[in-house]
Amino acid sequence: MTRLLKILAFGLAATLGVAGAASAQDCPIKLGAILPVSGPMGQVGERIAETGAFAVEVMNEAGGIKGCDVEYVLRDTQGQSTVGVDAAKSLVDLEGVQALVGAVSSGVSLPVLTSVAVPSKVVQISCCSSSESFTALAEEGKTEGYWFRTYATNRSQSAMGALVASNQGYKKTAVIYVNTDFGVGLAKRFEQDLAKLGGTITSMVAYNENQQSYRAEVTAALAGDPDSLFLVAFPVDGATITREWLSLGGTGNLIVNNSLRSDDYFKAVGHQYLQDMIGYDSAQPRLPSVDSFNEMFQARFDGPPNGPGLHSVFDAVMVTLLAMEMSDELTGTNIRDNMRMVTSSDGTEVYPTVEGLMKAKELIAAGQPIRYVGATGALQFDANGDVQAPKMTWKLDGETNVETGYYTTEEVAALIARLDG
Amino acid sequence: MFLQHLVDGILSGAIIALGAIGLSFTMKILRFANFSHSELLTWGAYFAVVFFAMAGVFGNPFAAPIAPFSFGWPLLVALVFSAVSTSVLALVLHRLVYRRLSRTAGHMTMVFASFGVALLLRNFVLLIFGADPIYYSTALQFAIRLPGGIRVMPDQVFLLGLTVVIVIALHLFMTRSRTGISMRAVSENPDLARVSGVNTDTIIAWVWVIGASGAAIAGVLYGLTVQLRPELGFALILPLFAAAILGGTGSLYGAVIGGLVVGISENLSVMVIPSTYKPAVPFLLILAVLYFRPEGLFGERNT
Repeated sequence: MTRLLKILAFGLAATLGVAGAASAQDCPIKLGAILPVSGPMGQVGERIAETGAFAVEVMNEAGGIKGCDVEYVLRDTQGQSTVGVDAAKSLVDLEGVQALVGAVSSGVSLPVLTSVAVPSKVVQISCCSSSESFTALAEEGKTEGYWFRTYATNRSQSAMGALVASNQGYKKTAVIYVNTDFGVGLAKRFEQDLAKLGGTITSMVAYNENQQSYRAEVTAALAGDPDSLFLVAFPVDGATITREWLSLGGTGNLIVNNSLRSDDYFKAVGHQYLQDMIGYDSAQPRLPSVDSFNEMFQARFDGPPNGPGLHSVFDAVMVTLLAMEMSDELTGTNIRDNMRMVTSSDGTEVYPTVEGLMKAKELIAAGQPIRYVGATGALQFDANGDVQAPKMTWKLDGETNVETGYYTTEEVAALIARLDG
Repeated sequence: MFLQHLVDGILSGAIIALGAIGLSFTMKILRFANFSHSELLTWGAYFAVVFFAMAGVFGNPFAAPIAPFSFGWPLLVALVFSAVSTSVLALVLHRLVYRRLSRTAGHMTMVFASFGVALLLRNFVLLIFGADPIYYSTALQFAIRLPGGIRVMPDQVFLLGLTVVIVIALHLFMTRSRTGISMRAVSENPDLARVSGVNTDTIIAWVWVIGASGAAIAGVLYGLTVQLRPELGFALILPLFAAAILGGTGSLYGAVIGGLVVGISENLSVMVIPSTYKPAVPFLLILAVLYFRPEGLFGERNT
């Protein structure tokens, strides 16, 4: 019996030892992704996941990382925090990833961050989570610097929503918002921002995701005869709510958050009913790097990168991969420390094309700082891992989604300062 | 606003009532809580999609609507088609699963089997039709304004009317026809019914057909006013059970009143509590009924 145990113990130690030694230069290098490819955000999430995979493809074409191909290990969160945490845990514990891309909803990203990424010292970078809770958490030092995002926070979204309402001259706005960390945070901020700009709120109605009908919520929001509706929702439930809202006599003056900038949503509701809708979204700065991403995307997917989170997920993957390239040993802590080195403002500018990435790797090998300028422009993470981005407003003209306004990063910052002041 | 919420409640209650009738009957006559019943609503709704796809060969079913409704006569045919198909599905399930189990297995086994069947049914919908929402027609129907500022959609009024017709028809069936009377006999005492010469197998088949048809019609009409998702029925399971338990299992009018009470209380609840707690209302109703009147409002106390 003891002999058997000894053999077992020896075997186990040998396996672990080999695995431990091999992990430093194991090929392929794995990058974890936790994204909602099914569930209420499945339509949006699938496109985001494909774009993330595309970024990995481009990097592999440029020779991969540290001479290895990169493997993109995707796990579905179904838009649920429990599923997301399990997926992240299995990626970290079983697949041994040192960096996680995701999730989309703040309500999923937050538990993943606090219960997986930070305790396991793994970098987490989100394309899409915009809740301000992360900023607060980072300020308290609870993220230990492992949290990054390539998407601007809620703060600018609610400010844009309020600005649109006030520019349109809406006086009485109803708010219907998704009952998640993201929706609640955004709606509450909107309430404050709109008051500063002179509008009034007739009602604030939260809704739970994945219900078949939202009649009761819509009827509650119709109280007080609002002249406009601020809708914070995702395409599938958003379509149900919008249809019931319009059917029951609600106004066509909609202000919608960026997740509803989706063809699925327009089609489900019907373009002809959405002509008075105005939306906002993060904009891509007017830079050649953005155009070149758009062209690459068009060539790969045979369509333009229209939809939430596509530009930002591409950059999230690229920045993480470059930070990996810069790390001597692939640990979450090293990657974390290098995230700002590959986006440093005094570095040499590099673009996310195959040639650009090859040049980036040469510079990294020479020990020089680089400045990644990608699909969302020149990223710059602040101390909390947040970025600022320009904003745009859009509407539907017939069936085409057209841009109606553009606000630079500075203009957005000035607007926020005015609202906070 | 109160009146509007009340009307909304009655309209959504009508769908719950239609679904709850079948659930209530199966609970009483087949003697187990059938968790797969709500999936029959989903299948009913998707069977109509199949029908429209086939009927589309002859032209768009929504092209010539009968004013003021959004649909034309093909919808009525679709209802029949879907009711028949769903009944066949229910009978197949009965034969493959429930009949076999009921011979040997206990009550809890049946309940868990129904859970399994529900999962299978839901995922088959996912497999065949995909997760994306489907619309019978994306044309939007606008509500008409009734006196008092109440807004209703004509389709929903049709739904309410159809529910009333079905309930009356079922009432006549249960009280006048020989099959209906036998059905009540089986629900009272299956052994006694059998020795009196009632063919219980036929009666049980009838229960499935009635339950599945009600579910199918509720599913199609629900799909008509909102959208079709694989979770359509699953999302209704609590309201359905609340309605069946509230009304008292086996009672036709109990299920109808139960459905209306659930629908109305869900809709009125948003006036007093935050709308995010609305899904908890059926839970509270189940708790309250089980506490104060376990046999349900119209149920008979088991002796």
